[in-house]
Amino acid sequence: MSASGQKRALWGLTDVVVISLALVPVLWIVSLSLKTPATLTDGTFWPRHPSFVNYSGIFRTTLFTRSFFNSIGIAVITTAVSVILAAMAAYAVARLDFPGKRLLVGASLVVAIFPLISLVSPIFNLWLKLHLYDTWPGLILPYLTFSLPLAIYTLSAFFREIPWELEQAAQMDGATPLQAFTKVIAPLAAPGVFTTAILVFIFAWNEFLFAISLTSTDAARTVPAALAFFTGSSQFEQPTGSIAAAAVVVTIPIVLLVLMFQRRIVAGLTAGAVKG
Amino acid sequence: MPEQRLRKAVGRLAMSLLLLAIPACTASQAASNVVTFYIFNEPGGAFVHAAGVCTQAAQGRYSIRLALLPSNADGQRQQLVRRLAAHDPSIDIMGMDVVWAPEFAEAGWVKPVPDDIKAQVSTGTLAAALQTATWKQTLYAIPFNSNTQLLWYRKDLVPTPPTTWDQMISEAVALHQQGKPGRIEVQGAQYEGLVVWFNSLVASAGGRILDDNGNVAVDDMSRQAADIMHRLATSPAADPSLSNEMEDQNRLAFEAGNAAFELNYPFVYPSAQKNAPAIAKNMAWAPWPAVTATGTSHVTIGGINLGISAFSRHPDQAFEAATCLRNTGNQRYAAIKGGLPPTIEALYADPALRPSYPFADTILETLRNASIRPSTPAYTNVSLEIQSALSPPSHIDPPKVPTVLSKRLQDAIESRGLVP
Amino acid sequence: MASATETLRPASTPAPRHATRRAKAERRLAYWLCAPAVVVMLAVTAYPILYAVWLSLRRADLRFPAQSAFVGLANYATVLRSGLWWQAVANTLIITIVSVALELVFGMVIALVMHRALIGKTAVRTAVLIPYGIITVVAAFSWRFAWTPNLGYLPSWLHLTGDPLTSHASSLAIIILAEVWKTTPFMSLLLLAGLALVSNDLLEAARIDGAGAWQRFTNVILPVMKPAILVAILFRVMDAFRIFDNIFVLTQGSNSTQSVSILGYDQLFVGLNLGIGSAISVLIFLIIAVIGFGFIKGFGAAAPGMDTRR
Repeated sequence: MSASGQKRALWGLTDVVVISLALVPVLWIVSLSLKTPATLTDGTFWPRHPSFVNYSGIFRTTLFTRSFFNSIGIAVITTAVSVILAAMAAYAVARLDFPGKRLLVGASLVVAIFPLISLVSPIFNLWLKLHLYDTWPGLILPYLTFSLPLAIYTLSAFFREIPWELEQAAQMDGATPLQAFTKVIAPLAAPGVFTTAILVFIFAWNEFLFAISLTSTDAARTVPAALAFFTGSSQFEQPTGSIAAAAVVVTIPIVLLVLMFQRRIVAGLTAGAVKG
Repeated sequence: MPEQRLRKAVGRLAMSLLLLAIPACTASQAASNVVTFYIFNEPGGAFVHAAGVCTQAAQGRYSIRLALLPSNADGQRQQLVRRLAAHDPSIDIMGMDVVWAPEFAEAGWVKPVPDDIKAQVSTGTLAAALQTATWKQTLYAIPFNSNTQLLWYRKDLVPTPPTTWDQMISEAVALHQQGKPGRIEVQGAQYEGLVVWFNSLVASAGGRILDDNGNVAVDDMSRQAADIMHRLATSPAADPSLSNEMEDQNRLAFEAGNAAFELNYPFVYPSAQKNAPAIAKNMAWAPWPAVTATGTSHVTIGGINLGISAFSRHPDQAFEAATCLRNTGNQRYAAIKGGLPPTIEALYADPALRPSYPFADTILETLRNASIRPSTPAYTNVSLEIQSALSPPSHIDPPKVPTVLSKRLQDAIESRGLVP
Repeated sequence: MASATETLRPASTPAPRHATRRAKAERRLAYWLCAPAVVVMLAVTAYPILYAVWLSLRRADLRFPAQSAFVGLANYATVLRSGLWWQAVANTLIITIVSVALELVFGMVIALVMHRALIGKTAVRTAVLIPYGIITVVAAFSWRFAWTPNLGYLPSWLHLTGDPLTSHASSLAIIILAEVWKTTPFMSLLLLAGLALVSNDLLEAARIDGAGAWQRFTNVILPVMKPAILVAILFRVMDAFRIFDNIFVLTQGSNSTQSVSILGYDQLFVGLNLGIGSAISVLIFLIIAVIGFGFIKGFGAAAPGMDTRR
């Protein structure tokens, strides 16, 4: 085998190992979701007689479907608002000089690392009084708060790399300020904004503690919280199959999103290479 | 100037944020005839049915709305406690696990049951169930359903059921040595089920954990009980997953044919009929084995009591609703459709019930002899200390158990230190 | 962007008015830009954080509201004297150190594959990002089911005799595995950004000079990536120390596998002892702050906002 053929084989092997380690647990949960309650413990990886009974079960009530809807809505709104607010603050941190910059950064770090467990009760009490309990804003506001520090940091790191002089150069070449912004700055800022959006979305999508504490009905309950409400067919029976089916259903959009955007995501992160 | 435009944009953003924060319009609970019942989702629809029946019976005076709680007891308690501590008025009736009454009563979160209602709900109700809802001689909740464990065994492997734990363990070991399925399935994970096992053994041995005033009263029977647990956990009769098993894992293991004995709630019977008919054919039941050769077993009672929140805006209607919710018809439905044993004794002889409860007599006998878990406002601490002291069962050191437990429980009832 | 007039101005003469006006305008703009983010963060966290700190100085048990009282640092003393706390700290340190180390190694491999593999880059990128996008508790359930004997496939594949989730050491290993599986993609993304900064010219030059692949890696790639690596480690350590979701679903803290966050959660939500729970939270915060500080000062990791150039 030629040297480059050997190299390709080696890379190929590494690929296969990485992909299997990443995906086997995912395939397992798919297989579990296709097993009936009677065959859950038959000890095989794949079900012998795949069945969709778990899937029909979770769609029978609004518990799961509504929580899926809540999760998506809350995560999307959190992402949009957080990126906007963070972009504004990151622009200031990256490009402007003002007293209190260090205080801002320091305070947002405190917010980022203070354990959420002790903040649940006071926020719960506050929300109860403000009628924000069990509402979308009731979850969006804390998610905004706790995603902003990371978002500001990430965006300011990206913004620092942008050659802002290009904007002035474009304007001197005859472009209006708006054109200079949209045609020159925006494309350069896009990868950073995109990366930040993903970080914030994943945070809101995954969040568990506030989801179980600040919701009580379908109105705002997200998927992580809804899993605690799943039941088996009797009081003591574990809803293993239902949880597995729900897990697959909420992962499908993620798989689709990743398939669509993996090129953009990697491009965004390797954008620094353009300058190198 | 770009600065001005930016300021306007920021201003608009702030406005929209404020608008987000304006309270969402929710249906006002000041509507004086909605009684909200916080309960877990019972898969057989028992509570949905009861709520519907009682709303009709109320003839417009009130309507009962169900609000969902998580499926496990810990999750239910957390949701309720958080809101009761914040004096949330949206809770009227809540489904309380049998061990919560002293805690909720002492914290002022539940209303005592008025005397007339107390008379209504006490007649014909299991004594042990009423005891769980009582604190300082006051009734704080209305029993809805009960639950207790039986000994389930394979009659093809074991012709007559063992009467003591020692007997059961030796029979299981003998079966194992013959190469037949000889495991004893019991809940050994570090959770409330472990406390139920321990408490049942202590009570069956004639001992106590706390006395009637809530003071520590650990005696030598704790050593006996711990000894049984330890012996089982270290014998070949133990399931390798014992220290990770809860009720459902026991059920699955028995249905897979690995076990000869199972100590579990009645839900295992209809489940076996559906999921493992071959095993169900050979499934028989008996009361729990005793600890001593001459004694009876005193299995710890479980179940759900209905409590009325101290912050409810319509307590009278809530009490009336709760009294209806636990009536004979609703308990019968819950028993048949949900497998929830009733607290009304007469129902165990009910002909409509007995077909799905072939073991009704055994359950009633067990319930009449039932023991209760330690009655104290700090029950959570007590339970966690017991769980921690006895986990995993294979590492228990029986002679040390009474002293270790006494010390840890003393800290627990004073709510001193960290909970494990 | 200092203007020429400013640099030539002697100290005694007053600054030209357009320079001060400009600086003021810049400040105003900065405040307006930061205001919304600051308002949101303050509004939601100022009261809760102060309340939590205040609670930590009191005996506050939800079940005995009449017994509330100021107790100073007694809660902290109780926590620091408790074996449970130190066990939780030990667990958390083990989980943090081992999982971050593993994530660093695997993340680097994956970053290299995503950036430089000759074949299969798209497949790897897609596959690797999926664990990152799965909801944490959902993945934790998947692992719990997978490790349960008779239900899952791992005990039989690995020929395990007992139940791995019933012993302390194997439970910790399972938790670490779940953490690493879930978070390595995040680490690999951070490292990828750093990897992209390594110029191909430098690598070519090294190759021409005769350096092998490993030497190129250690002498060219790693040094250029050092700032990115440090930032990645800093972020991950600060996050890993607060691990909660995976342990909550996998073991609920049984078999002494509690992390400091789970311990705090148990005191607050199960034991209803707000004083002790808040004290634990403050202690967690202080530990993480010290770790972060140590990284920034000791290893020179880039701190957000501490940027010397404009």
